[in-house]
Amino acid sequence: MLCLKALMHPTPPPTPPPHHSHPLRVLVMADCPHTIGVEFGTRIIEVSGQKVKLQIWDTAGQERFRAVTRSYYRGAAGALMVYDITRRSTYNHLSSWLTDARNLTNPNTVIFLIGNKADLEAQRDVTYEEAKQFAEENGLLFLEASAKTGDNVEEAFLETAKKIYQNIQDGSLDLNAAESGVQHKPATSQPGRLPNDTQPAKDACSC
Amino acid sequence: MAQPSQEGRQKAEMEENEDAAITWSDETGREEGRLDEDPMNKNVGVGEGEKMVHPANTLEGDAESKIENAAMMEESGEEVQPFAEEEEEDSVVIPTRKRPEHIIPQVEIGDRMKEPLVEDGVQSKAESSGGGWGSSLGSWGMSLISSATATVSSVGHTLSHVVEKAEESLGILSPTELSAEGEETTQATVPTEEAGGPAGSEEDPVVKEEGVEVEGDEKAFSHGGAFGMLGKLGGMTASSITSIVQNTSKTVITGGLDALELIGKKTMDILAEGDPGFKRTKGLIHRTNTLSQVLREAKEKEEQRLAQQDEDSLAAPKAHYGLLFDEFQGLSHLEALEMLSHESDGNLQAVLSSLSGEDLLRVKAELDEIKSAMILEEIDVESDVVEEKDEKEQDLMNIITELLFQVHIGVTPDKLNRARQKADAWLKEVQEDSTPKEAAEGLEKEEVVKPEKKSVQDVHSLCIQSLAEVTARSIEQLHKCGELILHGADPDVSAMQRAASLTRLTVALCKELSVKSEKFASCLSTVGAQEKPEILNPLVTSVFLEASNSTMYIQDGFQLLLPILQLSHLQHSATPLAPT
Repeated sequence: MLCLKALMHPTPPPTPPPHHSHPLRVLVMADCPHTIGVEFGTRIIEVSGQKVKLQIWDTAGQERFRAVTRSYYRGAAGALMVYDITRRSTYNHLSSWLTDARNLTNPNTVIFLIGNKADLEAQRDVTYEEAKQFAEENGLLFLEASAKTGDNVEEAFLETAKKIYQNIQDGSLDLNAAESGVQHKPATSQPGRLPNDTQPAKDACSC
Repeated sequence: MAQPSQEGRQKAEMEENEDAAITWSDETGREEGRLDEDPMNKNVGVGEGEKMVHPANTLEGDAESKIENAAMMEESGEEVQPFAEEEEEDSVVIPTRKRPEHIIPQVEIGDRMKEPLVEDGVQSKAESSGGGWGSSLGSWGMSLISSATATVSSVGHTLSHVVEKAEESLGILSPTELSAEGEETTQATVPTEEAGGPAGSEEDPVVKEEGVEVEGDEKAFSHGGAFGMLGKLGGMTASSITSIVQNTSKTVITGGLDALELIGKKTMDILAEGDPGFKRTKGLIHRTNTLSQVLREAKEKEEQRLAQQDEDSLAAPKAHYGLLFDEFQGLSHLEALEMLSHESDGNLQAVLSSLSGEDLLRVKAELDEIKSAMILEEIDVESDVVEEKDEKEQDLMNIITELLFQVHIGVTPDKLNRARQKADAWLKEVQEDSTPKEAAEGLEKEEVVKPEKKSVQDVHSLCIQSLAEVTARSIEQLHKCGELILHGADPDVSAMQRAASLTRLTVALCKELSVKSEKFASCLSTVGAQEKPEILNPLVTSVFLEASNSTMYIQDGFQLLLPILQLSHLQHSATPLAPT
């Protein structure tokens, strides 16, 4: 019913802004035809008593926008890769997305795999076990969620925020370095780095 | 594109933003947070300049008015007596009419006496605007004001020197000393005075009183001194006085003019010194390299400040442009646009470095052409599109739509339009509210606006909010243009054409903002008609300040499109140079 970008809606009630630090940029990669380029949202999550502001960059999953959205990967503290458990085609994008995410973000960027539409058990096309295994092999966090019912949505963001926070605490993720590295480095997307996954995106997402 | 659903979502987002905005916004702290790094410090500098010119004006005006008075007196020579009796304050004129030369020293002494006044004026201005200019300028502004004050007072010194010199050459006591015996002397000389005496003695106390009332002790003393001096002069022979006074007056006038010139020069110097605000900001932008970073830092400061304030007191939050701009995702779009722009620039350099010889020259020339197509005309000079219709904003929106269409990337300015309409809606509502006393409220309106009559602060918040929203949407528009120009736009339209259309689009957007800000300001003035100027003026000023900030952001966003357009030019040019 809804793409994950809808995870931001209905939005939580306005919360006072966190009293410290940069917002953490979290990419959402979802195969949703409605997004042109990138859309933004914010979410404030409380992690161990600290309010953390997530700045959500909801990137278009459509193939034709992939070139654009790749420009936005750098500097991201976390990435949510969203597929639709009722459509295997969306699951098949994952490896190329993962390649992008790995290549274009900080090595310690938290990557979270999310199977959306967990409420549509009857139409399931991708089993939990299969996705779980993929996540484990690639060191991803994994959850099945439903944007429609809101199941596990908050958890996904919370887990992401926690993990990012943890990485920052133990020093493995230096956001400042990542941030400053972003803006001054010349572009990294060089010719020849074409997506492995050239299959046309099916805009079958029912949102 | 299944636009509707997205729109719905956007709407929700916008509503949420509004809610959030209201809770988070704060006006007073904004300046602290932002002005240090504000790209628009330039403007502040200009504003400052007006302030600093002020003392000079005061002086000049003062001298002029005195001279005018004197001239008037000369003309009305016949009606000496009645006039003198009526115009107590102009009592000084009475002796001077008999001996017109006296006017001059009086004028200058008057000016000198004004010196402390002028300084006071500056200071009190700085103080009284503590809530407005003062705080809105932050510490930087204050330091500028105080340096201006210092300068003025140093100039004041020069002036008093001149006057003192004049007094010395008159061979009389210093005003302070004089003041001690002033009364006595005056009274003593009364009998010997023929015409000026009686008037002088009668009015002396009056003037003194007024001096005390109006300007404080020092002036009163000076007055006393002046009168004492006049009294003494009365005892001398007319001719010797005339010559002395003539010479003196020349010195004083020259000195006075010099002093005025000095004030002018100093003011200019300070203005030039004050301008670094702009330079500094530019430098800052260069250092951090991105506008969004600067803005973000400013916003974070503000948030921290807000947080502290929250703990201190639950002060009613007001409009804070920076926070609102972020709420409307303007910052994110700007940041994303920057990323696109930098990446394009990188790719552009990569392509250029792979070229050589004629190819390189040719490509460079083409790129320069695009660059020169993107030079913004001055915003005041309306582009041909805008000038015919600048009265009708709806048309302006049509122009924007049309220009976007010309850019040929398949974007419509829906969100921008909605932001505009929202602004118009509340403007209208507020105006309706404020004209009849208890106008019927638009109940169905979904805006954040509350049904009760709005205070100036409410209207101000709305103004700032609308400015932030329209600006954020404009940046978003430019960002979307950037994305689509790079990827997925119709390659039939040349980068040159797009550059031209986008340039006009930017001019139109800026124009729109300036029209809006004027409307906001006038609305604010209407609503705040009963408010004190100290309350109203800073609010109006902040609307204009934020409007010019907005314009600046849009223009900066526009400049970020340059490498994007250039890269797209290379991508689509005959030689397949650029990677896609």
